[in-house]
Amino acid sequence: MIRRRDSLRLTAQKLALRKKRAAFAIISVALGVIVVVTADSLLEGVRDVAVKTLWTEEIAPDQIRVYAGENPYNFVLPGEERGQKTKRRLQYLSESVFEEIRGWPGVEAADRPVVVQPVSLNAFAGRPGAVAELQGVPEPMLLRYVTNRALLSGTTKAIPLVVGERNVRLRFDEKHGKLEADPAGERTWLGRDLTILLGDNYAQLSRFQYDYKKRQYTALSDDEATLQRDSLERNFRAQYDTAIFNTTLTLKGRVVGFCPGKKVLMPLEAAALCGKWIDQRNRLAARNLERETDDVAYPEFGRRAPKPGEYTEGVVLVKPGADIEAVAKRIEELGFSATTRARAFENQVRAFDSSLRVVKKVAFAFGGLIFGLACALVWSTTSKTVSDSRPDIGLFRALGATKRDIRRLFLGEAMLQGVLGTLFGMALGWALALTISHWVISFARRSTFDPEEALLIPRSIFSLNLKFCLLLVAGAAILSLLAGLLPAQRAANVDPVQALKRE
Amino acid sequence: MIHLENISVDYPLKSGRVPALRHVNLDIAAGDFVAIMGPSGSGKTTLIQLIAGLLTPTAGEVIVSGENLRQLNDRKISGFRNRTIGFVFQFFNLPNYYDALDNVALPLVFAGVDEPTRRTRARELLTEFGLAERMRHTPDQLSGGEAQRVAIARALVNNPKIILADEPTGNLDRDTGTHVMELLQRVNRQRKVTVLLVTHDEKAAAFAHRVLRIEKGELA
Repeated sequence: MIRRRDSLRLTAQKLALRKKRAAFAIISVALGVIVVVTADSLLEGVRDVAVKTLWTEEIAPDQIRVYAGENPYNFVLPGEERGQKTKRRLQYLSESVFEEIRGWPGVEAADRPVVVQPVSLNAFAGRPGAVAELQGVPEPMLLRYVTNRALLSGTTKAIPLVVGERNVRLRFDEKHGKLEADPAGERTWLGRDLTILLGDNYAQLSRFQYDYKKRQYTALSDDEATLQRDSLERNFRAQYDTAIFNTTLTLKGRVVGFCPGKKVLMPLEAAALCGKWIDQRNRLAARNLERETDDVAYPEFGRRAPKPGEYTEGVVLVKPGADIEAVAKRIEELGFSATTRARAFENQVRAFDSSLRVVKKVAFAFGGLIFGLACALVWSTTSKTVSDSRPDIGLFRALGATKRDIRRLFLGEAMLQGVLGTLFGMALGWALALTISHWVISFARRSTFDPEEALLIPRSIFSLNLKFCLLLVAGAAILSLLAGLLPAQRAANVDPVQALKRE
Repeated sequence: MIHLENISVDYPLKSGRVPALRHVNLDIAAGDFVAIMGPSGSGKTTLIQLIAGLLTPTAGEVIVSGENLRQLNDRKISGFRNRTIGFVFQFFNLPNYYDALDNVALPLVFAGVDEPTRRTRARELLTEFGLAERMRHTPDQLSGGEAQRVAIARALVNNPKIILADEPTGNLDRDTGTHVMELLQRVNRQRKVTVLLVTHDEKAAAFAHRVLRIEKGELA
């Protein structure tokens, strides 16, 4: 009986005799493995990054975002609307709905949030990310983030503002073109007076640009800034009377606390007044008043537009310790959509996982297909080797090799091709995945303007799944063994008498 | 050592069965040197293949070294071939991808002998046969006589009791053939190995203790 080690050696020697054919089979196996290993090594890492950076912090843990029954901007067929299919009909939020929710146990506040834009805050002018929007929220929600109550109750006419932590944690060093952590952090911002410029149509203008080569921000030159302003103004001129449209209102604000993310919160009442001022200004400035009416914005074949007193979005704040999910469920029972931070996170993860699964399935199917073809190639190579090796098989049998020895030699050859191809493919797959990871991370770092978000980007999205790799090698060994089974059996059954006959 | 009893071998062909051997009875004692002569197609090689267990007779019994070959399964008969039989072929049958040393050691691979032992034994034999300088040469780098000496060394490496030589001089010139026959004779005398030689060549057959003639599958 031939020794295992000698069997492997003979197999390797025979394989070396047919270098080209064996290399072709090995490379084919490797190609399939490269696709699978690359996908597997990267997708896990991509998911990790996604989970870390999923944007859910805009919703506070004790807050529920409520939306009208269905997305009001979805276009539906007119027949559906006219057919009175109530379950599909859009249901807007109204003051009576908020009133009902406010009466539930565990609910602290329920109201519509007011978004005020365009607006600019003078203290944020030196930052790459502009603040062009204020959010009016119910007072209890604002109070959750107020760090210093004395500032709030102080005798001042300034509007209390809660600013996002992301806006204040880092500051821009114009001299070095770098964003640096503010050592004093939030402390220096608390109580700071800010100027709020309502109706600043240029609030979203970029003040800085990122230099990819130098890897730093640079301030826009005066000419560049003017070009941007001119471009925006050209668009405004067609729609508005710019003399009115460029009118702004200056208000005084004061930082009273910090909230997650980049938003800036203010009391609901103040926001409503600010919003009203901007609406009035816009209506006065509009050259074509019809453009501003809801009937025109939502034609008869689309969804019904919200009437005065109807809202598409609301915010519900639950009391500390209350069951937020129970409240969200009750809201859903009323026929509205409810989103909590946990639900938003779950939905985003689910949506992301679903996309990943599709990518993974496609990659694995493609890799599997190549691998299947490679197995066919292993079968063909081993078959040809058997045909070419008949004299050797005859000699080996005459010298004392058993049928089992012969079978093992050829099975070993098939398996060696599969395993070598898999190992080769794995190494190349890892190398490719590492390279792609490097590209992706470099690209992500270059294209992320939010410095805090950039900190969440890891050094690599490459991950090594050893269990999967072991399974892959085992699978490849088994599949290539199966591919070599028939040729090996044929080799074992070669008649030595016939094989030894010299043609 | 070798006992063939009423052996018949038929080859199945499309046109019917063709008899290769008919009622052959043969006894060869241990240490004997027997030559079998006969024209082409007379059944000489079939006889050798029967004794090596590569072929199963249609009828009769083959008993070699006390083993009834018909009763052995593949594993046992392969082991028997490996331990008991040494083959010398007309065309040497030395794989070109092995050098002389590895070719000689090949039967030991199938015997499960470890590599250092294999190499030592192969080296000893090649040195004994005057091929010490040729160990690392591949068969296509050897002359016909050298190649056949390597083949004889390979046949002897596992210390077999029997050497079956099928036309060992058929592919060699006269002088080289004589040297090969002298080597086989020496092996027979010194190692007490039974040699069964199949040949057309009267000169080669003259080295044997006795010569048997076979014609149309029957021993004369």
